[in-house]
Amino acid sequence: MELIVNGKRLEAAEGASLTALLNQLRIDPLRVAVQLNLEIIKRERYEKTALKAGDRLEIISFMAGGAD
Amino acid sequence: MEKTDILTFAGREFRSRLIVGTGKYPDYRSMRRAHDASGAELVTVAVRRVNLDRTQESLLDYIDTKRYTLLPNTAGCYTAEEAIKTAFLAREVGLSDLVKLEVIGDQRTLFPDNEELLKATRVLVKEGFVVLPYTNDDPVMAKKLEDAGAAAVMPLGAPIGSGLGVRNPYNIKIILETARVPVIVDAGVGTASDAAIAMELGCDGVLMNTGIAGAKDPVAMAEAMRHAVLAGRLAYLAGRIPRKLYGTASSPLEGMIE
Repeated sequence: MELIVNGKRLEAAEGASLTALLNQLRIDPLRVAVQLNLEIIKRERYEKTALKAGDRLEIISFMAGGAD
Repeated sequence: MEKTDILTFAGREFRSRLIVGTGKYPDYRSMRRAHDASGAELVTVAVRRVNLDRTQESLLDYIDTKRYTLLPNTAGCYTAEEAIKTAFLAREVGLSDLVKLEVIGDQRTLFPDNEELLKATRVLVKEGFVVLPYTNDDPVMAKKLEDAGAAAVMPLGAPIGSGLGVRNPYNIKIILETARVPVIVDAGVGTASDAAIAMELGCDGVLMNTGIAGAKDPVAMAEAMRHAVLAGRLAYLAGRIPRKLYGTASSPLEGMIE
């Protein structure tokens, strides 16, 4: 199925959980926050959150930046 | 002085009054060394989409979160709504409930949009965030932000990244007279004397990024800033002599050789 992750199309297994997606992307869940279709998903719900085709995800973390 | 002179806000204590950024460094290694040299305990970070190409190194590999408190910022946000959303996502990462609240009103000057800033401050305070808003050097606005529950106010010295120093020390002084929360000069510091001036005015701290990261030698500049903030703070506590137009001899007038 196709997802939109951080603005990019991405293929993931049908019915994959959020945990599975982060694994696939090799992202440490302890360093990110995830928004699924405009809703922030708590970390303890990653495992139980099944993704659907067309879901839009924002995966964010802390990046270099001071101001501006 | 370092043992007893503590920067306190929202029940947290910091021995260093210098807050540093993570942007614009030549690489993460020099950033880490600069952080070390600065003596800072608070480090501001941006909130952005992760790079899905995992070949790149992660900023968090270069910040020891046991030693440094992270201060996520809402840099790049132009509305209260964007800033609020960014702050919520930042808190969800689970490493900090502080937020350096920035709502930019103009792309060229990067001056804040104070109307949106105040709106976002009210919402985030209610939601339990420790809000540190970046604002103009406007005493009225500083008061409004404090009344809205800001944990500190962070007036600019000059536009972000400009290196122009504290352009309006008199406004900063007025803010200091009225504020009951810490006043931290945020933005504009170009070199050590700028930081010292902010501290000599009586500010509780200074936040800077470009001044260090953009220097030819960021590590040396970080150390210079550490000394400048300490020197400025000590000078403020020591109480400077009044400015006078004419000379006053410091040697006795009696006992002159005839």
